[in-house]
Amino acid sequence: MTKFIIRRLLWTIPVLLLVILFTFLMMRQIKGNPFRKTERAVPAAIQANLDRKFHLKDPWYEQYANYVKGVFSFDLGPSLVLRNQSVNDIVKSHFPVSLELGAYAFIFAIIVGVPLGVLAALRANKPTDYIAMLVANAGFAVPSFLVATLLIYYFAVKWDVGVPTSGWTTWQSKILPSIALGFFPMAYFARLVRGTMLETLQQDYVRTARAKGLRRQRIVGLHVLRNSLIPVVTAAGPLLGAVITGSFIIETIFAIPGIGRYYVSSVSARDYSVTMGLTILYAVIVIFGNLFVDILYGFLDPRTREQRT
Amino acid sequence: MRTRSSIALAALLVAVAALVAAGCGGGSSSSSSGGSSGGGSLAADQTITIAWGAEPPSLDPGLATDTTSSNVLLNIMDPLVKLDPKTLKPVPSLAQSWDVKGANVTFHLRHDGKWTNGDPVTAQDFVFSWLRTLSPELGADYAYQFYGIKGAQEYNGCDSKKDDCNALKAKVAISAPDKYTLKVQLTSPQPWFIQQAAHHSFLAVNKKAVTKWGEKWTEPGHIVTDGPFKLAVWKHDAEIDLAKWNGWRDAKDVKLQRANGRIITDGTTAVQSFEAGEVDVNTTGIPPSDIPRLKQKDTYQNYPALGTYYYGINVKNVPLNERRAMAFAIDRKEIIDNIAQADQVPATGFSPKGIPGFSQIKTDYLEPTADVSKAKSLLGKTPNAKKNVTLFVNDSPGHKEIAIAVQAAWKKIGINATIKQMEWAQFLEFLGPPPNKAVDTYRLGWIGDYVDDINFLELWTCKSGNNNTNYCNPKYDALIAKARQTADNAERYKIYGQAEQMLTGPNGDFPIIPIYWYTYVTQEAPSVKDSFNINLLDQFDLSKVRVVS
Repeated sequence: MTKFIIRRLLWTIPVLLLVILFTFLMMRQIKGNPFRKTERAVPAAIQANLDRKFHLKDPWYEQYANYVKGVFSFDLGPSLVLRNQSVNDIVKSHFPVSLELGAYAFIFAIIVGVPLGVLAALRANKPTDYIAMLVANAGFAVPSFLVATLLIYYFAVKWDVGVPTSGWTTWQSKILPSIALGFFPMAYFARLVRGTMLETLQQDYVRTARAKGLRRQRIVGLHVLRNSLIPVVTAAGPLLGAVITGSFIIETIFAIPGIGRYYVSSVSARDYSVTMGLTILYAVIVIFGNLFVDILYGFLDPRTREQRT
Repeated sequence: MRTRSSIALAALLVAVAALVAAGCGGGSSSSSSGGSSGGGSLAADQTITIAWGAEPPSLDPGLATDTTSSNVLLNIMDPLVKLDPKTLKPVPSLAQSWDVKGANVTFHLRHDGKWTNGDPVTAQDFVFSWLRTLSPELGADYAYQFYGIKGAQEYNGCDSKKDDCNALKAKVAISAPDKYTLKVQLTSPQPWFIQQAAHHSFLAVNKKAVTKWGEKWTEPGHIVTDGPFKLAVWKHDAEIDLAKWNGWRDAKDVKLQRANGRIITDGTTAVQSFEAGEVDVNTTGIPPSDIPRLKQKDTYQNYPALGTYYYGINVKNVPLNERRAMAFAIDRKEIIDNIAQADQVPATGFSPKGIPGFSQIKTDYLEPTADVSKAKSLLGKTPNAKKNVTLFVNDSPGHKEIAIAVQAAWKKIGINATIKQMEWAQFLEFLGPPPNKAVDTYRLGWIGDYVDDINFLELWTCKSGNNNTNYCNPKYDALIAKARQTADNAERYKIYGQAEQMLTGPNGDFPIIPIYWYTYVTQEAPSVKDSFNINLLDQFDLSKVRVVS
């Protein structure tokens, strides 16, 4: 197991180098000038000053080498647009917020989604199943900005149940965005759990357990649920990565100071260093998310443990 | 107004007064008139919450380029002059008076200006700050604001590898002969320079704070300011709170104790926060779809802006009479009533309504509505008319809808427009400079930096970096050059009028088609509505805001 982990960790280095290279080259391909934010043309002298300041006219391999050097010493460089902040500052002040929001959303998705799926599977093709799947399908189909807008309109404006329309300050302000962001994964989990659970219920070992006369609760709790969760864990890794790196839409609608917005705003502002820094952050999270999932497999399914040593 | 002026300035002021025909006494910052005009007594709690709009990219006056930064800065710092919200005339602020002798400008600073660290605000602070903004190392986007000062452009354009930057720095004509006198020598007489000094780029920064903290000097706790408010809280992307600073020279006149600010970029969110009572003023904006509903409420406010929404035409691709025909085919009023909806003003010229001297500058040749028969007859006179044209717009909301209306209008006179949408940064690079051959027509806007029409009309000179139309008329350039040398306002406005005629008059060249003049829309709670005035440059002065009960 340790060997496996070390090998996987070493693999992250070439992966990261490639991620940096591809982002770096692609960012240079899309046209646009980070220093021209409005229709005002930038006078040549000022453009030259800025290019010099941020080394944008150096040969690309030099820029790449300098950047890689920075990354491996944990310095992601200065932002070209937010002039008093470095990319490290941006990550430091906004990533924890997205992490918190993502964690709540994920907890909501698990707590609601998994039982919903279990319930639907156990009462398959009965009204409970239909209602649960209606909720899940709605969550799957309705875009998050609509969920967010509806939640705000009804709970914060119309009925005013004590939650604010936006912001990320009090615990009340964290409820609606967490639900809005967790709605899609919730629906996803519910559908996934229902599907795998129905499949597991057909398995021979479940029939055997039943034949042995085990109690239904024990069969479902120990055998069925545990085995049904493997696909959920598989899906959870990347999903967790996506959720904790923030959501542009949810963070914008709720005016939350998270990092998700920067994935989009830095690209449209051509803030090269921010885009690259965030891509690396995302890559690292996905790499470690998957590693974590692989380790978790071992606990859920002993068969995978042997194959890896 | 206690202004110790030179003869030249006195003449200038008389001219302005004659033109504007409005009383000027009220604007002085030292006036201490009490209660509000709208009735109601001062509320016990003088606190408001503002939806600021986007996060300010920088609170360094040298580096700030956007509206939020500008408005925060102008309330926490002390500008040399402020602009009267109605007449746009400069009124004394930190500079108690100024002299203008041709190209030589002298500001006389008040002696009671103070930084929050206790130091006096001196002329030397301005020399330091302005040279800092001009320094090539800082890389300030708005350094060009100072290009009217002798030696400024040369210093800003200096490359330390090739030039002797220190020698160029020493040649910049900004000096402080004594503690409270600031002297500037301009490249030519520029009557608008005093008004230009109201822009946030011209604010002073505190040398000690800048030197001590470097790029981090604008964080709360580090920043040293000299205005009526202090930066109390700045949580990036979430909150900017300003608190009254009792050490400010006129603090006794400032009623507002605190302005809490929320960073809300989404218009719908801002409207909902306002409707839920979480913010008192929504400066973020209102989505067009919400405007018809909100317009009915008395919390809706609409301010004229100094800005023009226009269509540019590539004059190498589209012949003159066709350009005129296109201009007459468009129904500006219909576009505003049905698409833009924020009570914008139909633009009949490029110079915006509200610019000083507008009554002499405007052409009144174009109409707010369309004149299809005139358009058709103009087009009939154009044998080489281009019947299929491209129309480029960026993909922000609203522009495509207007482009579709324009497309339909042009269709009526027999011109087929193909609309092409692009992402903003690519769009700007695509348009030029140099102007792109593939572009026949495009949409853009222009928002003024300062209140003189030169800031608008100089766009259409041959060498302007913002002119993507290929329009180049030496006569037009000569007029603009002449205006630059004309200190007398009435004379200069006359020249602006001639230049505007060359663009949109009966014999105009029509490199552009004006569509509308911008407005700013806000929502304001009744408690602050009467004192929260946004001027033509989208600035508001919190030291004048009063919360009434």
